[in-house]
Amino acid sequence: MLAVLDPYFQFATKAMAREATYRFEVFTSIGSLAVRVYLMRVVWVALYAHNAAPHGIPLHTIITYSAVALLMGLILDIDQTSLLHDKLHDGSIVVDFMKPISVPLYLFADGTGEVLFHAALIIPSLALALLIVHIDVPSLPVLGAFALSFFLAYFVGFFLNLIQNCIAFWTLEISAVQLIMTWVTDLLGGQIVPLLFFPAAVQNAIFALPFAAMFSTPLMIYTGQISPAGYTQAMALQVFWIVALGLIATVIWRAGARRVVVQGG
Amino acid sequence: MNESSLGVVSLPRNPDLFRREGTGSKRTADAPGGFAAPGNRSLMPIIQTRALRKTFRSVVRGEGLAGAVGALFSRRYEEKVAVENVNISIEEGEVVGYIGPNGAGKSTTIKMLTGILVPTSGTIEVAGIVPHEKRRQNARNIGVVFGQRSQLYWDLPLRESFELLRAIYRVPRDRYRANLAHFVEILDLDRFMATPVRQLSLGERMRGDFAAALLHDPKIVYLDEPTIGLDVVAKEAIRAFIADINKRLGTTVILTTHDLADVERLCRRIVLIDAGTVIYDGKLERLRDEYGTHRTLIVHLKDPQPDFALPGVEIEHSEPPTVMLKFDRRTTTAEALIRRVTERYAITDVAIVEPEIEDIVRRIYLEGYQKPPARAVET
Repeated sequence: MLAVLDPYFQFATKAMAREATYRFEVFTSIGSLAVRVYLMRVVWVALYAHNAAPHGIPLHTIITYSAVALLMGLILDIDQTSLLHDKLHDGSIVVDFMKPISVPLYLFADGTGEVLFHAALIIPSLALALLIVHIDVPSLPVLGAFALSFFLAYFVGFFLNLIQNCIAFWTLEISAVQLIMTWVTDLLGGQIVPLLFFPAAVQNAIFALPFAAMFSTPLMIYTGQISPAGYTQAMALQVFWIVALGLIATVIWRAGARRVVVQGG
Repeated sequence: MNESSLGVVSLPRNPDLFRREGTGSKRTADAPGGFAAPGNRSLMPIIQTRALRKTFRSVVRGEGLAGAVGALFSRRYEEKVAVENVNISIEEGEVVGYIGPNGAGKSTTIKMLTGILVPTSGTIEVAGIVPHEKRRQNARNIGVVFGQRSQLYWDLPLRESFELLRAIYRVPRDRYRANLAHFVEILDLDRFMATPVRQLSLGERMRGDFAAALLHDPKIVYLDEPTIGLDVVAKEAIRAFIADINKRLGTTVILTTHDLADVERLCRRIVLIDAGTVIYDGKLERLRDEYGTHRTLIVHLKDPQPDFALPGVEIEHSEPPTVMLKFDRRTTTAEALIRRVTERYAITDVAIVEPEIEDIVRRIYLEGYQKPPARAVET
């Protein structure tokens, strides 16, 4: 069993090593995060100075929410990897199909390797963010639930990313799709503002979409907007989305791979 | 010369393996290499295709911007035949040159053999497996080198690419170490094992790619233009390497190339493909014998003779005091021709130019392969 998975562990390890070779990227991503945390604080402070706290969410909670959301963004980036798109674009996908590997599992391993490297960046980024803002820390059980929900969110993000990349099987080009998806997940996923801030009717529509399962669910657990009684339901919905998106991704992948196989890349 | 003995060309390691499946229409029509198969068929060839056909559907697009925009809305498709009725049978241990002009269908065939393209019709078997049905199982039996595409991991040092391939193909560690040590030595990889692949020169990268393709001891290797863009020294190193693995391990090699020097150095058998169809399958020597019937005699005359002429002799080129005479070696000998020239003119020097395989193939590309009339169709 382990021997079967060994190549995929290697893919993940090599992806981490690869990310580490771009030192400039590492420093800029930490730096840009600090800038965004600072700007986010400026915006919220200004907004709260002239308005009543919406939905009774105090300023320190909203700042915590946004800071944690930005840190999560290091890992949960819908645009994190475009490996599949790149390979389809330059035709090198053919080389992967000539190897005795499962290509989707390879993409998952590679993407996860990248993410694990970025996860390591959270520590210095967090340290830097704490110089700028105060972040509330919830109790240990809540942190545990948050971690679990975050873990589930990763799979939601992975499948959304894979589906988005699969479009390149047909179009070869996905930059417009990527742009839209990034905006949609940031906004409808609850990374920019809590979804509670949207009008009720819009909220219903948003919660019927998978994006909320990425940022909103773990963040609402973290900030206590979802109480421990609601954990099961919230995470069950995340699992539902993982299964649903997984199935959609499988169907699209198969159709796309057949297209490569029929057209020869 | 015995015609039927020319029919089968292979390099079996053991003469008893000298078996070949018969095939259909190709044999007498346009593949003089044919598959004459005397004796029993006790062993399967390692690669066998029958009536292989592949068509692609492509969008027909009008001209210019209007056409491009029009194609966004209404689509007309046309079927393009990439490969048509290809019957190839290759024995274990053969080195076969698969050559043809651009777009002839070489890469399409190779992709079908590797299992990433599904044939439109016809059958393929590679080492007992139908490649597109068991892509991953087939992948373990083959190694592939593309001259224009690397399978090495761009950002990683060469050594780490090899490590990754070891895991992918599950090469046992001791076997891996032994193979790697050997490749490092004969391909001289030592100097750049720790260098990221993106910093390697083309020659270095190709050597790395060869090692990568062979780490798992594949039974068959497909080499798609492996020497393209390399300098003379690097080309020779690659050729020596291919010859070595074939000789030492009995690896079956299918080589597509535009550099016919590769073919002359490595292959006894060539398969010529043009417009998707195999037009020749047989010994390289025989192609030269059959097709390269014309020789050129270069004569340096003592004095310029602007009106140089010999009845019945074609003058290929004239640049006084030098004339180039074309002759058919089946009807005239060089000696007789020289004698005729010296009877009329005073000469200082002569030279005979043998047809280059390159010229022969170029001629076939241009004119199509015709079975030379002087030779009877084998029966």
